[in-house]
Amino acid sequence: MSGLVLENVEKHYGSACAVTDVNLHLPEGKLVCFLGPSGCGKTTLLRMIAGLETLSAGEIRLDGQDIGHTPAHQRNFGMVFQSLALFPHMTVGENIAYPLKLRGVNKADQQARVSELLQLIQLQEMLDRPVAKLSGGQRQRVAIARAIAARPKLLLLDEPLSALDAKLRESMQVEIRQLQQRLNITTILVTHDQREAMTMADIVVVLGEHRVQQVGTPIEIYRNPANAFVADFIGSGNIFPAIALGHGRVGLPGGAALQVPICESIHAGTSIKMLVRPEDLQLSLPQATAGNRLQGTVTFVRDSGATIETTIACSGVSLTALSTPCQGIGLGIGSPVSVTIPAEACRVLTA
Amino acid sequence: MSSPLKSLLRAAAPLPGETGRFAMGLSGFILLLAVLPILSMIVMSFSGASNLDFPPASYSLQWYKAAWNTFVSPDASDVLSLGQALTTSLLVATLSMLFATLVAVPAAYALVRCEFRGKAVALQLMSLPLVFPMVVLGLALLLIFDNLPFQLSTSRLVIAHVILALPFVVKNCTAAMLSIGNEVEEAAQMLGASPLRAIVDVVVPLMRSGILAGMLLAFIISFNEFTVTYFLYNIDVMTVPIWMYSRTVSSLDPTVFSFAVLIVLIDFALIWALEKLVGDGGVSF
Repeated sequence: MSGLVLENVEKHYGSACAVTDVNLHLPEGKLVCFLGPSGCGKTTLLRMIAGLETLSAGEIRLDGQDIGHTPAHQRNFGMVFQSLALFPHMTVGENIAYPLKLRGVNKADQQARVSELLQLIQLQEMLDRPVAKLSGGQRQRVAIARAIAARPKLLLLDEPLSALDAKLRESMQVEIRQLQQRLNITTILVTHDQREAMTMADIVVVLGEHRVQQVGTPIEIYRNPANAFVADFIGSGNIFPAIALGHGRVGLPGGAALQVPICESIHAGTSIKMLVRPEDLQLSLPQATAGNRLQGTVTFVRDSGATIETTIACSGVSLTALSTPCQGIGLGIGSPVSVTIPAEACRVLTA
Repeated sequence: MSSPLKSLLRAAAPLPGETGRFAMGLSGFILLLAVLPILSMIVMSFSGASNLDFPPASYSLQWYKAAWNTFVSPDASDVLSLGQALTTSLLVATLSMLFATLVAVPAAYALVRCEFRGKAVALQLMSLPLVFPMVVLGLALLLIFDNLPFQLSTSRLVIAHVILALPFVVKNCTAAMLSIGNEVEEAAQMLGASPLRAIVDVVVPLMRSGILAGMLLAFIISFNEFTVTYFLYNIDVMTVPIWMYSRTVSSLDPTVFSFAVLIVLIDFALIWALEKLVGDGGVSF
């Protein structure tokens, strides 16, 4: 099988488990994002792929070849570290040429490749600058150029954008994504920022509680979270308890019932959890309860200008609805309101 | 070493009120105490009198002339010329510096990067020569060297000086090592450097200032060392401090002061070089 395959990969530190039971197939040429809260084991997993950590168990194969025990310097993977780890005693050009020098590339070819890469990252005039004299974004680009200089088989990015300010981070996200597509290099990006994962990744691997929670495209993960952990971690969502009533209906704690797409295998009487995204809730002035329309009272309004977040107490649960200013109907705290929850927007979560 | 200078400069910008005046007075007094012996020695070296009265009755360059004569045409009564002593001193200092650095750099790397059993003990042992009485150390080394089946002369001074300089060199290298993140080393490995190559190409260059500081310190320590050397020298192999002492034991000869001024000048030059090389805050004694 081509691409990178992880099979039953595990890492323990003494009795503490960092990550366990990882089975992944990362296809060639894709940008894969390891997304998870801090301490979920995503960086450990990346470092095992890089060869900077040993495996406690399992196998890592690249294009069918077992590389789980190959030392890092023989894997030919490019890596950009969180601190970037540029060599402060070398110039921009020397940093980028370093992997070429190690591979015994002759001086002329080194220079050609360096200027090609500098052109790619648009820093041609910085060749002889010491890296300390660069701005944050420029350093970032140099780190990426250095990582891809020796045409690695895999590019690993360990939260490389976390040190940048918000605006620069967003433009770098686009830049990295475009570069990755242009070079068609298989890339793994580790991040705890779900927006970053959503905007950059072909495939998102959600990690939590030391194991893989879900693998899918960003939209799949957002729309169809596999479990409550993913639903809670990705985006903001209304997650509330409910009880299956049978015939595609669920009961809320306050007694109201909703029509939802629910799996036949869930028996009536089973406790479940429901997910509804705030942007799917429709608010209207009070009108008769019907279908999936419930009555509620506004408990909080947060108007950030671009969007309005309205929190509503409704049949024993607290729901947050997101609307645009033009959809606003002038609700204040205490206003009675009707909430329509479209059946197709509801997700039933097990556990 | 730069700190007294710096604090002096800082004190020049007056602190407000009584506390400021008190602090300035106190630091001035302490500085005076520190430089007084050196100053009096410099004054004495210019004495025109033939006795050791302080302050001298008149001033001249006679002792410098005498010192120069000893240097160019050694007295037959001298067991060893200053030229030979100076050569030995420089040789021993250079070798001690090199060996101490060769040991200290890997040691500093291991102490910072590796976790091993007995690391705490190793750290303690490393600073043992700092608290050990010099006389006891000299005696112990003498016992060991005299019981060896072969004779060492210059090299036994080098071994002793390496032991004395090592804590300082290791301390400086460790401080430099601590500021180097794991990631640059790992980055080098990811780019294709073997672990050893990564250390040579990235870690050592980044430790440069600490290593240089350590080297110069080792040189100075070895060049100035007296107590332990006193136990280990022999009639053919003598360092400058021992040579000077041997000239003063029988009758105090003011030429020694001119030599001392020369040595102080060498030390100052080295310390100045150290500060130039390392910059502020890089050296720890």
